[in-house]
Amino acid sequence: MTTQDMSPQTGRPEWTDLEVRGLRRDFGEVRAVDGVSFRVPAGALTGFVGGNGAGKTTTMRMVMGVLSITAGEVLWGGRPITQADRRQLGYMPEERGLYPKQPVLDQLIYLGRLRGMSTAQARTSVMSHLERLGLADRSREHVEKLSLGNQQRVQIIAALMGRPRGLVLDEPFSGLDPEAVDSMADLLREHTSRGVPVLFSSHQLDLVERLCEHLVVLARGKVVSTGTPEQLRSASVARHRLVLSGDAGWVRDLAGIHTVDIDGGVALLELLDPGAERALLTEALRRGEVHEFSPQRPSLAQIYREVTA
Amino acid sequence: MTTTQPTATAPQQGAAGLPGSSQPPDGEAGAYETPAWLIVATREVVVRVTNRAFIVSTLLTIALIAGFGAFSLWQSSRTTTYTVAVTAPEGSAIVTQAAAAAHQADAKVTIEARQLSDDSAARALVESGDAAVWLHGGDGGWTVTSADEVPVALGTALEGAVRADALAANAAAVGASVDSLERGTTVTVARFDGSPIEEGFVKVATFAFALLFLMAAMMFGQQIAASVVEEKQSRLVEIIATAIPLRQLLAGKVGGNSVIALGQVVLFAAVGLVAVSFSEWSALLPALSVAVVWFVLYFVIGFFALACLFAVAGALASRMEDLQSTTSPMTTALMLVYFASFGVSGTGAVIASYVPIASVVSMPARILAGDTAWWEPIVSLGIMAAFAAVTVLIGEKIYRRSLLQTRGRLSWREAFRTPE
Repeated sequence: MTTQDMSPQTGRPEWTDLEVRGLRRDFGEVRAVDGVSFRVPAGALTGFVGGNGAGKTTTMRMVMGVLSITAGEVLWGGRPITQADRRQLGYMPEERGLYPKQPVLDQLIYLGRLRGMSTAQARTSVMSHLERLGLADRSREHVEKLSLGNQQRVQIIAALMGRPRGLVLDEPFSGLDPEAVDSMADLLREHTSRGVPVLFSSHQLDLVERLCEHLVVLARGKVVSTGTPEQLRSASVARHRLVLSGDAGWVRDLAGIHTVDIDGGVALLELLDPGAERALLTEALRRGEVHEFSPQRPSLAQIYREVTA
Repeated sequence: MTTTQPTATAPQQGAAGLPGSSQPPDGEAGAYETPAWLIVATREVVVRVTNRAFIVSTLLTIALIAGFGAFSLWQSSRTTTYTVAVTAPEGSAIVTQAAAAAHQADAKVTIEARQLSDDSAARALVESGDAAVWLHGGDGGWTVTSADEVPVALGTALEGAVRADALAANAAAVGASVDSLERGTTVTVARFDGSPIEEGFVKVATFAFALLFLMAAMMFGQQIAASVVEEKQSRLVEIIATAIPLRQLLAGKVGGNSVIALGQVVLFAAVGLVAVSFSEWSALLPALSVAVVWFVLYFVIGFFALACLFAVAGALASRMEDLQSTTSPMTTALMLVYFASFGVSGTGAVIASYVPIASVVSMPARILAGDTAWWEPIVSLGIMAAFAAVTVLIGEKIYRRSLLQTRGRLSWREAFRTPE
């Protein structure tokens, strides 16, 4: 993007990384988050992936300062984050909720004003967001009258309004229909193109794969992998699909090959030794026809299972 | 050239914007930002006063108090006429006497006689309800027969008239005057403390104070607790906590609800005083007004002391269902205050008027009864203010400690131990 936002204070671009270093949280005897370190680069969507109980929410709550930190630190632009910094971040907690008996517009303006916006600024920002998410005509309705998906959109607006300098979103896509996922993704990209860091958690791996420039994989309270989806892929062992005219059972006996799955003439393989490919094909051609031999692009779900195993 | 001027002035603008110049460095720092607690308090007030249930209950209570006033007004302006059926001419004379006596006692009571020819006609008239009673003579006295209860004013008047009539006849028979027979039989009631306020009135006023305080404290206290747990349950509090300090959130909640509670109580008290001014107790209005002003003063501080504790009760809960148990210390204390306000008297009442929260009701009641020295309300108010300060300090601490705990309900004891 050519139009970068300039900070009114410093005249520098608003590009600030969010970083956690050695973050740890104990609940009594249980260590929910164990020495987690990663960086959320400015201007990129960072997907925070992990199973239930991996420690995503606990980490995000510590980043936002709503849960005290047992050990480690959260850095904003390289220095320890302050409450004033956090005030400029948009945050969406895991469990959804708003004031059920207050009109949509009123409560969003209220939340905006708590973050230091004027009523007029907040109203403008809220209305344009409602417009974007197709809720403009429902601004006067009580939140409890909205469907869950629409309530979710309102809560997204609460996090995105007022040009936040960073976003920390816990499962922002859950419960949204595909159309809403797209407009939500567009919205998030607008924020990253402004140069803000965006961290969002999800367990919809296909979605994360499609959207993210950067990934952090968490398992059992620890970071098991970080990087771009491509980096993660190249780090994982390449898989090949082999389709034969006859039964492929013999492949199991070859050295230097890990057999993931065999179904009749179709085998899914991991080539562990450099020379294994040649030996495999030679043997296959000796036994019959080779219909297909192709490298498989591993899905993120596959990588995820690998790194968290 | 059009470009000359801007380039010439640009350095000056830059200089004016340098730190240390009289200009505010940027718009954000120079702009006035509403304090967070005020934003929170405003929301609490707006949400409350636009709540339908709140409006309805407030109007209903005002209607109830105004209704009492209107009833008193109607009661005091209404004239009551009693018809007495009589069959003997002497009966008419007694009724005339009774009517005069009754009118003297209460100008709005009229008694009239209805002369009938025989007993059965008189009986029929009473039974149909057209006459209140049938006055008929028997041997050595009169009998008042009615269909149900004899109205007190009528009974007293008739009894007095019969007695006076017989007394006059008996006095004449022995050659004495009525005055000489009645000499020395009058009793005058007096008290050391001059003209005291009726005890019954003090009781009624105390009851009103107790009820008003109990209702308001329960309702608004529960409201505070519910609004805290609402935010906690929905995790809105996490969004708010990243935006403003929790202390400001608490201050706004307690402040906003205190303002509405106070507003409502002042409204009720004002309507109540107007109602009293129409009642038979209107003469006591000045004394009552003083007591009400004290009550409002006590109410504010007493409510404030409780409000923080109710907020803590909300923070301890993690769901609405938990509130009943986390608010129980306050509701128990309030019920005790309520029952103590009628239950104690004498020394007990004096002690109660110094005990924080209990003094909200007990001290204004004692002021109304007129048995307080000038310094007593001030000392008692000071004690409660100190108590309020303590609850605010402790409450604020526990509130901050427990508000972001999401793992089920905390007990008061656990909350004290939880580290920040």
